[in-house]
Amino acid sequence: MTVALLKSQILHMSIEKQETLLKLAILTVAAILSFSTRLFSVLRFESVIHEFDPYFNYRTTKYLAEEGFYKFHNWFDERAWYPLGRIIGGTIYPGLMLTSAVLYHVMNFLHISIDVRNVCVFLAPLFSSLTTIVTFFLTRELKGTGAGLVAASMIAIVPGYISRSVAGSYDNEGIAIFCMLLTYFFWIKSVKTGSLLWSALCALAYFYMVSSWGGYVFLINLIPLHVLTLILTGRFSHRVYVAYSAVYTLGTLLSMQVAFVGFQPVQSSEHMLAFGVFGLCQLHAFTDYVRSRLTTEQFDVLFRSVLMAAGSVALAAMGILTITGKIAPWTGRFYSLLDPSYAKNHIPIIASVSEHQPTSWSSFYFDLQLLVFLFPAGLYYCFAKLTDANIFIILYGVTSIYFAGVMVRLMLVLAPVMCILSGIAVSTALGSQMKYLDSPRQGSQSAAEKKPKKGEAVVPFRSEVAWTFTVLISLFLVSYTFHCTWVTSEAYSSPSIVLSARGHDGSRIIFDDFREAYYWLRMNTPEDSRVMSWWDYGYQISAMANRTIIVDNNTWNNTHISRVGQAMASTEDKAYEIMRELDVDYVLVIFGGLTGYSSDDINKFLWMVRIGGSTDRGKHIKENDYYTPSGEFRVDQEGSSTLLNCLMYKMSYYKFGSVYTEGGKPPGYDRVRNAEIGNKDFELDVLEEAYTTEHWLVRIYKVKKLPNRGV
Amino acid sequence: MGLRLKIYLVCLFLTLTSFCNATSEDVLIKSAERTIDVTSQLVKITHRLTLSNTGKSSVNSFNFHIESRAQQKLSYFKAQLADGKDSSGVLKAVSSTVKGVLTYKVTLSSSLEPGQTVKVLVGTVFTHNLVPHPAEITQKEKQLVQYRGSAYIFSPYKIASQTTKVLLSSSSVESYTKVKPSSQSDSTITYGPYENIAPLTEVDIVIHFENNAPFLSVANLLRHIEVSHWGNIAVEETLDVYHGGAKLKGSFSRFEYQREHSGVSSIKSFKTVLPELAADVYYRDEIGNISTSNLRQEDDGDVSLELRPRFPLFGGWKTHYVVGYNLPSFSNLFNSGDEFVLQMDLISHIFDHMVIDDALVRIILPEGASNIEIETPYAVTRLPDTLHFTYLDVKGRPVVEIAAKNLVENHIQPFKLRYTFSRIVMLQEPLLCVFAFFLLFLTFIIYARLDFSITKDEACDNRQRAAGIAENIRNHYLKRSTLFQAFETHVVKLKSSRDINAFQASAKNITSDLRAQTLDLPANLKSEHPQLNDRVTEIQKQDKAYRDFQSTHAQLVERLVGGKINKPQFVDAEAILIKKRDELVEKLNHLINTL
Repeated sequence: MTVALLKSQILHMSIEKQETLLKLAILTVAAILSFSTRLFSVLRFESVIHEFDPYFNYRTTKYLAEEGFYKFHNWFDERAWYPLGRIIGGTIYPGLMLTSAVLYHVMNFLHISIDVRNVCVFLAPLFSSLTTIVTFFLTRELKGTGAGLVAASMIAIVPGYISRSVAGSYDNEGIAIFCMLLTYFFWIKSVKTGSLLWSALCALAYFYMVSSWGGYVFLINLIPLHVLTLILTGRFSHRVYVAYSAVYTLGTLLSMQVAFVGFQPVQSSEHMLAFGVFGLCQLHAFTDYVRSRLTTEQFDVLFRSVLMAAGSVALAAMGILTITGKIAPWTGRFYSLLDPSYAKNHIPIIASVSEHQPTSWSSFYFDLQLLVFLFPAGLYYCFAKLTDANIFIILYGVTSIYFAGVMVRLMLVLAPVMCILSGIAVSTALGSQMKYLDSPRQGSQSAAEKKPKKGEAVVPFRSEVAWTFTVLISLFLVSYTFHCTWVTSEAYSSPSIVLSARGHDGSRIIFDDFREAYYWLRMNTPEDSRVMSWWDYGYQISAMANRTIIVDNNTWNNTHISRVGQAMASTEDKAYEIMRELDVDYVLVIFGGLTGYSSDDINKFLWMVRIGGSTDRGKHIKENDYYTPSGEFRVDQEGSSTLLNCLMYKMSYYKFGSVYTEGGKPPGYDRVRNAEIGNKDFELDVLEEAYTTEHWLVRIYKVKKLPNRGV
Repeated sequence: MGLRLKIYLVCLFLTLTSFCNATSEDVLIKSAERTIDVTSQLVKITHRLTLSNTGKSSVNSFNFHIESRAQQKLSYFKAQLADGKDSSGVLKAVSSTVKGVLTYKVTLSSSLEPGQTVKVLVGTVFTHNLVPHPAEITQKEKQLVQYRGSAYIFSPYKIASQTTKVLLSSSSVESYTKVKPSSQSDSTITYGPYENIAPLTEVDIVIHFENNAPFLSVANLLRHIEVSHWGNIAVEETLDVYHGGAKLKGSFSRFEYQREHSGVSSIKSFKTVLPELAADVYYRDEIGNISTSNLRQEDDGDVSLELRPRFPLFGGWKTHYVVGYNLPSFSNLFNSGDEFVLQMDLISHIFDHMVIDDALVRIILPEGASNIEIETPYAVTRLPDTLHFTYLDVKGRPVVEIAAKNLVENHIQPFKLRYTFSRIVMLQEPLLCVFAFFLLFLTFIIYARLDFSITKDEACDNRQRAAGIAENIRNHYLKRSTLFQAFETHVVKLKSSRDINAFQASAKNITSDLRAQTLDLPANLKSEHPQLNDRVTEIQKQDKAYRDFQSTHAQLVERLVGGKINKPQFVDAEAILIKKRDELVEKLNHLINTL
């Protein structure tokens, strides 16, 4: 019995079941992969919160989990922005904190003992898994199951998204991308069906999005833009009308419940497109109704006169409202989106943030690799078969690629659409070729496999071409996978709170100086002491050291930051006045000269000078004073005397003049600036060294009290 | 009235007896050697006393007084016979405060008859008894401390001869009170010998000397011991540690600390000795892992953990950290049937010459443990039991909480905790998991199998019906194929056995079985699922062809057996047939599998 009848008896499944199984398997693997690929930093270092903003989110989440929602909502934080304080409940998007607090409470209700920190650390990977699944559903709506699966697998590992959602990177963006794609999915569903259910779900998803990220503005402009495009291309229908009217009204009402958003949806210019399109929808629907009741001539007359009257009234109203200030003027962040050079020229504080810089070409490739090339192909396939849904994804793609070019951080918004369009491209292209893969087999027996079949195939070497194509695409996809894993592991998996370097013998050296200093502050300074540092470290100090800080990463008050900049840029006695005015007890600086850590305060110093000099009280601080006559920024003997005697310089280099850092170099050799410092022997009059970390990365000074009278 | 009288009588009796013992001029201390060890932050005093009964009646116990200035600082008291070996010579001691003086009443193991002598060792340990002087020093300065005590032993008995040796940590002594005869040699100061000192005589002495030993104390210790019957005991200690020596005055200069190694009294790191089998050690604090620690296996088997706080501890600085590890339960948990005994150290070693101001030990037993009894090596406060909830708990794990104050290394002694735990309860957790997953899958199955929609989706229904029919057909052919195979085995058997009759009988059986099998197809198959119908027809055609092949094959074999054709002819004919059959099988398989 060589050949048995019905061999695969046990594992037999119908085609449908096979498909379901395959689909589920691929999705599950993609979801698990997207979770696990984000764990590099946890495995390499530890389960720790990364960078700056996540520390604030972590601190607020802890507060929310411990104190409850209402206390959180009314929280006035007197530990930040001393002496102003900050109303936390009204100045943040609470979605992220609420999500983790709910997760935390649910887990602990089920007696799964997990602490807030671990919830926070693993929230972003968890939501990436969910994003993977939502991407599948969204792409399936656009193109089909195959494209959905490809897109889901791609988004699971795309570095542009991983950069903001690794374990420990506990930031709004981590869940916002999920909310955004969920909203899009529901939107496409509601446009396709015109059903109120989907529209309501879309509004709810939008609410979640609004409550979690300021980037919702992109969403509330994209959806109206889609509707507008549909109107202009004559695709306006009752489905679109129902969908948009429901989403806009419900969504806006819901979004106004978020304290930080408040009345912006009806006041600020960023939301006006949505409002305008809503009106237009009503007009269009009404016009359609009137048109169906009137003759053509009557309609034309009516249409023109109403249009003229309405247009002029609307313009006048807009003008008046803008002048009286009812509609918020165009804010700086918005301008910088449209015009990349705007921020640099006008608002130094925006320009000083590295993630607000325009994106370089290389970083597109670095973050997206293969997707950059598949994106146009995907766009082509969408154009080739235009539907309401496809128009949406085209608009999303085109606008987000523009915004990503303006600001590095918006790469995050681009990454999902890149994956979706690439998924469509790969799936369509493969679908068109793969059906020819085994064409020779069906015609004759296996012997004829290599022979071209002229009679049947129009294209010669059909099967070979198909094979080549498939193998090529597979190779590309494999290389994409390797690239993504490499980027994730090399570039995006360092917590930046712990630094690591390789020693001479190849062993791993850990620089844990930041936490050393913060913990010292937490343990050995009075509970109510006020710490002054540059704003970058504000969130970390308040979360890890638990001390009052003067300025932090929520850069809402430019003059206050400017005051700190002035203190850093002034001479000791001038700075003492400012520090007395701000009630400062301790000053913290980051100094990399000993270890070669380049993003220290001396390298950021020019920003302090610029921001310090940008307000009235800091008029005397001029950037040029800190350069050498030839226009260089130098810390050695040649450096300008203003620089060599300012507070920041003195705090960074106090006692550094006698330290040998590198063999063959004089003492006081700065390894970042590669120069021997110019001002070596000096004592501090108004400050005293309170603590310096092991590798001198963080230096903390205590501000001396005023001397007793007559002593 | 009678009751009150009784109480008075009892009181009178008690005072009388205590009076007898307390005064007992009968006892004389013939010789006393005292060693005051102040090399570390602790004051460890050892008294070697020779007691003699000069009275007429036998003496059962003697009293030991603690100087009033150090009463609050006494952490540990131990009395034992000087020649006693190990724990056998330990004497029972009960403390009480008589007229404001803390007194230990030590009961001798055997009563001391008149004229006899006995040698006794009394050890005491005092904490926070060395006062930094000056209280604040700069980074470069060395730490100086003062010890205040008495030149004579504070005793209720007359001491015939006594000497006191003070062991210092270094030979640099600023000053010391001289009570003749007294002398200093190197790092030892000797007072005495003094002869015939009356009871309760005190002469204050102050010794001011350099002591750079680590003045590290634990302000609060929270020790969690979590017992799991799956073979693990998890220990976690949360500590608030501070440097209790002279406070740092002025600035801390990292440069001087690194270059000139100043700050001799600061603490850079310390060593914690963990139990021999400790594994999975972690060392962290509120803001994450502290990367500076080393784990070493000592020669004596203990695991020593070198802990380096995030920053060096100068006088007055403090830190907070958590150390945790796992122990296999076989080393500490013993049982007989359902009775369990947990035997562990109440506190464990944290650093040499440690001081723990406040300790709270929480012992978490498995869920379902009952009849909990604890036996501690020394007096502690037992707090009310609580419940602790963690993974897979339903009613909570019982927690025994014990608080103690002012502890030193000598307090590292095991406690015994007895409880009853039925082993069946261990199954509760896995069963809970199984049940939860079962429920999950069940819900999913119900959801997937049943149709909850209120509208009817025609296309979907149709597809499902077609799938059902296809499944039916498949099953039908599965059964048929087994029969086919049985038939073929019989044919093969026939070739060797040549028993035509038997073959024909079984062949007939199979044929009738095959005939009995009917394929029920819905009547409207053709109109509803035309595609499926076509396929079924095709399958039936192939099926018939297969039957034909089988009968031809059988006939061929029969002819061979009957001798109607010779072997080569048969082989040729069979080869052709087999080839045809293989094709048929493949086609049939393909058709059925792609229904």
